[in-house]
Amino acid sequence: MSVFGGVIHGTDLAILIYFLGLNSFYALLLVLSIPEIWEQTRLAEDDDFQRLMQSDALPPITMLVPAYNESATIEASVTAMLTLEYRSYEVVVVNDGSKDDTIDRLRHAFDLYEVPRIYPETIPTKPLRAVYRSRTRSRLLVLDKENGGKADSLNAAINASRFPLVIAVDADTLIEPDALLRLTRPFLLGREIAAVGGTVRVANNCTVKDGRVTDARVPHSLLAGIQVVEYLRAFLFGRLGWNRLGGNLIISGAFGLFRKDYVSAIGGYRTTSIVEDLDLVIRLHQHLRRLKIRYEMPFIPDPVAWTEVPESAKVLSRQRERWHRGLIAATWQYKGMMFNPRYGRVGFLAMPFYAFGEMLAPLIELFGWIVTVGGLATGMVDTSFALLFVLVAWGYGMLLSIWAVVLEEVSFRRYRRFGDLLLLLLYASLENFGYRQRTVWWRLKAFVSVWKHQHVWGEMTRKGFATPPS
Amino acid sequence: MTSRQFLLVVALVQGVLLAALVVLIILNRWFRLRRSAHLQPRRAAVDDAMRRWAAGATPLAGVLIGLARLPVSLAIDALVGWSARVPGERWRELAAELEHQWWARVVRANGNSARWWKRLECARFLSVGAMPSDIARLTRLINDPHAAVHIAAVSSLERMESTPLTLTALERLPSLAPTVQAYYAGMLRRSRPVVIQHLQKRLRRTDDPALPRLAEFAVRLAEPALRERMTALADHTNLEVRTQVARALGSFPHRESVAALTRLGADSAWEVRAQAVRSLGMIADATTLSLVRGLVRDPIWWVRLRAALALMRFGGAGRNALLEIEVGGNAEARDVAKMILGLPAQALAEFAA
Repeated sequence: MSVFGGVIHGTDLAILIYFLGLNSFYALLLVLSIPEIWEQTRLAEDDDFQRLMQSDALPPITMLVPAYNESATIEASVTAMLTLEYRSYEVVVVNDGSKDDTIDRLRHAFDLYEVPRIYPETIPTKPLRAVYRSRTRSRLLVLDKENGGKADSLNAAINASRFPLVIAVDADTLIEPDALLRLTRPFLLGREIAAVGGTVRVANNCTVKDGRVTDARVPHSLLAGIQVVEYLRAFLFGRLGWNRLGGNLIISGAFGLFRKDYVSAIGGYRTTSIVEDLDLVIRLHQHLRRLKIRYEMPFIPDPVAWTEVPESAKVLSRQRERWHRGLIAATWQYKGMMFNPRYGRVGFLAMPFYAFGEMLAPLIELFGWIVTVGGLATGMVDTSFALLFVLVAWGYGMLLSIWAVVLEEVSFRRYRRFGDLLLLLLYASLENFGYRQRTVWWRLKAFVSVWKHQHVWGEMTRKGFATPPS
Repeated sequence: MTSRQFLLVVALVQGVLLAALVVLIILNRWFRLRRSAHLQPRRAAVDDAMRRWAAGATPLAGVLIGLARLPVSLAIDALVGWSARVPGERWRELAAELEHQWWARVVRANGNSARWWKRLECARFLSVGAMPSDIARLTRLINDPHAAVHIAAVSSLERMESTPLTLTALERLPSLAPTVQAYYAGMLRRSRPVVIQHLQKRLRRTDDPALPRLAEFAVRLAEPALRERMTALADHTNLEVRTQVARALGSFPHRESVAALTRLGADSAWEVRAQAVRSLGMIADATTLSLVRGLVRDPIWWVRLRAALALMRFGGAGRNALLEIEVGGNAEARDVAKMILGLPAQALAEFAA
């Protein structure tokens, strides 16, 4: 065998081992998600919410709502946030130097009046222009500040917050009325909770009335539909599986509840980070492990927030490229945690998984394709073997996606129509044919951006939610 | 086995699994739809029977038959749901009748199960349907290691007065996480005499490691009988105990409370000063006005805020003091006075809470 042939075969073997290792880990997550979703579903069903609502045991919560150019939706979304089923909470909206009339809309809709800012600035932020309270909604506080990005707005809101728990919510996210109540369940179950993540679902094609999803539907657009399956997979089996492994690294920035004292202790959100939620969670793990504080960061599936996902490939590519850029940056920045016994399971399991299984996956996949095509062209790789390998890889991807649909079906069943269920199965089957390859390409572009030191957020255009016919 | 054969086996297994999962999903949906169609009328029948029985229009037998026809978990849901809507005497009648129902006996027996969800089912049932004969079972469930189980079990104190149960819950209280403690506290408030007697004893043990938690619980009760014990703890070495005492004394307008709060207002820990000044505002004793006014210049923001809010409770004199501070020389005090004077009554009440 020539040297070239040896390289081809060696690489093939390495890729096969990588494939087996990664997929075995996914299989482990899949197995672990079963008892977890069963337990969570049981606890969710047995919650006596009326009793809870009447008790004063629930910890007060501050909702942090950064808003940038949200003029069209801000009034409806803030109104919906102000009418959640929770006894003690406040909403801090931060107008992050919007170029449109977001602040005027807020001023008008909630009869705002200016108050002096006298709370201590525990986390430095861009200068505040004004602080407003509402004459009609005593729960509401509005901060108007110079533009500094989402992380900076969240930090400003943390400074102004009064309560021990904070939840970051995007201004365009629709929170279910009982979501806060459900999200606090781990605190009521008495565990040492540092943060809790809830489920984010896709709102495209759902019917929205008064800022609430009244009819959950699966989108007809292929791109949005496949993202429904992706979200189900990420939340219902990925994060639930990680619950059992004790290394949840992602609590969605669109819907995550944190202990404020911990967040303040690490200086809040990092304004230079592209994916501020991932960065925050890793730093929290780092901080708490260093101080040897016992903590948990569980994900619980029944509190739900709905968000609109991109329906155009252009916008989606920007989003995915940014997410991956953030993952690369965070993995590089916190590489010292990897395989470091001080960080326990986070250092030995979660960080290596995200580095090798998530961050490097597109590079390895590309490399695999190149070597396989090279091997096929030179006759060093058997065509039928290569096809069989691709078939198995795709079949495995499909299996994981359909498993996510199974978990949804045996637990929460938000999509009531049989047609929607069939659509979900269809999208789960189609994901591996074209869509996944495109996401690999977008994620590869992230490496190029990192190489070029590009630091752009990427504009997210939204279509808006469907309203019920009058 | 060659790698090709291995991949072939994997592909075959995947194919079978995929087909099985799709069938499972569709069968699951079909089964649930059928089940839901069967159960819906039974649920409605129980609700209807409950409504009529609660109004005194029909005998209890209809309710019992309806409950027995439901799956156990749904029957318990129905009981928990209706327990808040039916008057106590009638509900006790139902609870007594349930003792003889076969399904309720099975649920009671589940209190000893090794599986937490079975014990949870039992605890939820007993939280609304417990009888005096269930005290030993409930005591075990309150000491259960699973949080959901003992939280459900402690809810039985809402309907049941039992000294052993109350004492079991009280013993467990200091070791619980703050949110759970608050829930326990809410339940224990109903068994006031037993709780107060127990607290009076426990608050005497100044070296008790559970003292901060017990003091916190005492604050929630706001019970005048505990004033003396709480005042005696004002000079305790533990910061948390002093903070709780400072918080508690606001509910007891008494000259000893005022004297203790005056001392606590000068405490070295800002947490204690903030609580003390809040309590001084609640009592609003004219002799403490100058102390409260001085605390508006405290170096710590929270103390300044609490002091300014407290001044608003002193009526005209407090407001005048704030107006003077607003144009005074201390910039930080000026800021806080300006903010508090600008707040509407509703926001003031929220801040003061």
